Amino acid sequence: MEFAASQALSLGIELELQLVRAHDRDLAHEAGDLIERLARQQVPGAVKPEVTLSMIELNSSIQRDFAGLLAELEAQRAIVCEAAGVLNLGICGGGAHPFHDWSERRVYPAERFKAVTQRYGYLAKQFTVFGQHIHLGCGNGDEAVYLVHMLTRYMPHFIALAAASPFHQGEDTLFQSSRLTAVSAFPLSGHMPFVPDWTAFLEYFETMRGFGIVEGMKDFYWDIRPKPEYGTIEIRVSDTPLTVRRAALLAGYAQALAAWLLEERSHAPAAAVYQVNAFNRFEACRFGYLGQIVDPYARSRRSIGEDILGTAAAVMPQAARLGCVDAVRELADDVRRGYSDAGWLRARLAASGSLPDVVREACDLWAGRAAAH
Amino acid sequence: MNELAWFLPGWPPAFGNLLLFGVLLVAGLLGGELVSRIAGLPRVTGYVLVGVAAGPHALGIASSPLFAQARVFVDLALGLIVFELGHRFDLDWLARNRWLAVAAIGESVGAFCAIYAGLSYFEYPPLLAACAAAVGTATSPAVVMVVSQELRASGQITERMLLFTAVNCAFAYVALMLFMPLVHLEHSTTWRSAILHPMYLLAGAALLGFGGSQLLLWLAEWLGKREDQQFILQVALVVLVVGLARTLQLPVVVALLTLGVLARNLDYDHALLPLRFGHAAQLLFVVLFVLTGASLDFSGLQTVAAVTGVFVVVRFLGKALVILALGRLSGLRAGGAGLLSLSLLPMSGLAAVMVYDTAAIYPRFGAELAAVVLSAVAVLEIAGPLATQFALRRAGETHAQA
Repeated sequence: MEFAASQALSLGIELELQLVRAHDRDLAHEAGDLIERLARQQVPGAVKPEVTLSMIELNSSIQRDFAGLLAELEAQRAIVCEAAGVLNLGICGGGAHPFHDWSERRVYPAERFKAVTQRYGYLAKQFTVFGQHIHLGCGNGDEAVYLVHMLTRYMPHFIALAAASPFHQGEDTLFQSSRLTAVSAFPLSGHMPFVPDWTAFLEYFETMRGFGIVEGMKDFYWDIRPKPEYGTIEIRVSDTPLTVRRAALLAGYAQALAAWLLEERSHAPAAAVYQVNAFNRFEACRFGYLGQIVDPYARSRRSIGEDILGTAAAVMPQAARLGCVDAVRELADDVRRGYSDAGWLRARLAASGSLPDVVREACDLWAGRAAAH
Repeated sequence: MNELAWFLPGWPPAFGNLLLFGVLLVAGLLGGELVSRIAGLPRVTGYVLVGVAAGPHALGIASSPLFAQARVFVDLALGLIVFELGHRFDLDWLARNRWLAVAAIGESVGAFCAIYAGLSYFEYPPLLAACAAAVGTATSPAVVMVVSQELRASGQITERMLLFTAVNCAFAYVALMLFMPLVHLEHSTTWRSAILHPMYLLAGAALLGFGGSQLLLWLAEWLGKREDQQFILQVALVVLVVGLARTLQLPVVVALLTLGVLARNLDYDHALLPLRFGHAAQLLFVVLFVLTGASLDFSGLQTVAAVTGVFVVVRFLGKALVILALGRLSGLRAGGAGLLSLSLLPMSGLAAVMVYDTAAIYPRFGAELAAVVLSAVAVLEIAGPLATQFALRRAGETHAQA
């Protein structure tokens, strides 16, 4: 397995989106109709099916910076929303639909997804959750392995900043992001083993393939994983935010953070990061900015919000060079104000009194017909 | 003897509405389940067949006056169905997708013209042919709603089938009302009643629906977003408007369709929660279809078989040609237009009611042409649900376990 070279710190994202019926705001089953319609149009990036007919996935093309990514996402959104409108479908962000019944989901009629359902049973339908994946270009495999280890320490940031799944099956979970629980159920979820370099990773991979446990990298549902075909690493812990803008902001922050880690190289990766990972991850999912994060390098503990603000300040020089100072600053401001998409969803429920109304407003927000602030 | 048996009911015992309701439910349930298990047919077809068995062509028990009293169940069931159908009618969708609006109206016009042409070929008088064509345009709201619920169908074909049904039912009524002055005049009533009668029916029903929708929205706002309370409210308003329409001799279907459409499209504050009538309403639907089956009239079928056949075929072709022509433009996927046309095949028991209403003021209609329409209703009440079920299954829009 070759690690394809790509331009270091180039950006790309995948966004899984909810398809919503107009009359009751429950999830629709019409991904096939929408994708067929979009296939006849010129859409920047790509639009792909996902495991159930209630989801579609938007892929950006490879971008150099935050501004280019945001412009492309906005163009994609306009086309996809227009096509969805013709079919009377709503589209919204958010990590999970607030009240859908997982047993009502229908699997996308493609061999790949049928195989997933055959293997994973009800988990496949329960996997109707919606995440954002951020790809960062890496020069080579060793750099990818280094970045995966180092970024793991910061995964709670990407959970808390994107958190947008407070409701599950009609109930408030008390979590900021309940989506990751659905991912954790899969046997190959979790994190990459603590390997020193790409050669060691390949050994691990070949062993797993030898056992017949995996066929390719896509079989690992890790929070963050190398993607050798693209020459990237892929951060997979974030919920799909409620706006394209926030999706682009997160990508900008990831880019600046990775640049800072690669330049500073302040310490070598430590296995301890994986010892505290489950705790940190839970805190971020449950409490968002208010959760606690244990820093295995500094051997200290503080709130995730403070940790984000500290990191945001540290990466500013890299952000300035990469053109994402405003993006990082905007996210930091949200942390100071305590704004999260999960909080917005809860506030809308308190104001409207019904989850279908929350979904309707989330669709307006996604389409750019309303503003969150 | 009489002294001793004072506690026994008189002979023959008087059967009440409740008993009738129970018998219809049990018989309908059995019929529906049997056709579903044995032949994989929609349960609706089973209910209808039970009704046919009880009807004048078989056991003949349906002619008892009790069946006339059961009319209240039919009105209620139909009220709920048509209200929900109206509530699914989304004007925003038509605004975003103009070709869909064109297709919905075009489908009605296509069916009307095709039937009119077909009947003209058999040299029926133009006015009679036009009335029959108007009646034939409507798809059965009850069949499409109940079959799609039974199959837990959801998707583009399902949504469009419901939308087109709402439009073609409205079209059928309005067209019939437009012809009514002419019918009146041919039957030598005065100009005044010729104009006033249809106006009273249409405007009265629309006003009643509008008033009901305002009351519904106002009360929903006041009650707040509580599902249990809103369920009672919505059923209550349906019963109220059905009752008022009956009292004022207005067409129930137009009033309830207006109520549903306006409750959806004038709900600017989103006061109304999405509807789920659920299992409780299913009870009424079983009775509705059994009674519909009992009222089917096959008596004329043999004598007018050829015209009936032409009626059914050209009606389908009229709908299908327009839908096929506009399918892609309105955003249907490949192959969707044919299935949508097929799903719209069921003809309404309502058509029978319209025929009787028209025949009441225009006896000439009652003769041969009524037999054609009633025979078509009878055929399509049984074949229609099969077409709808096939179309929705084939479209992949039904739930695997349904």
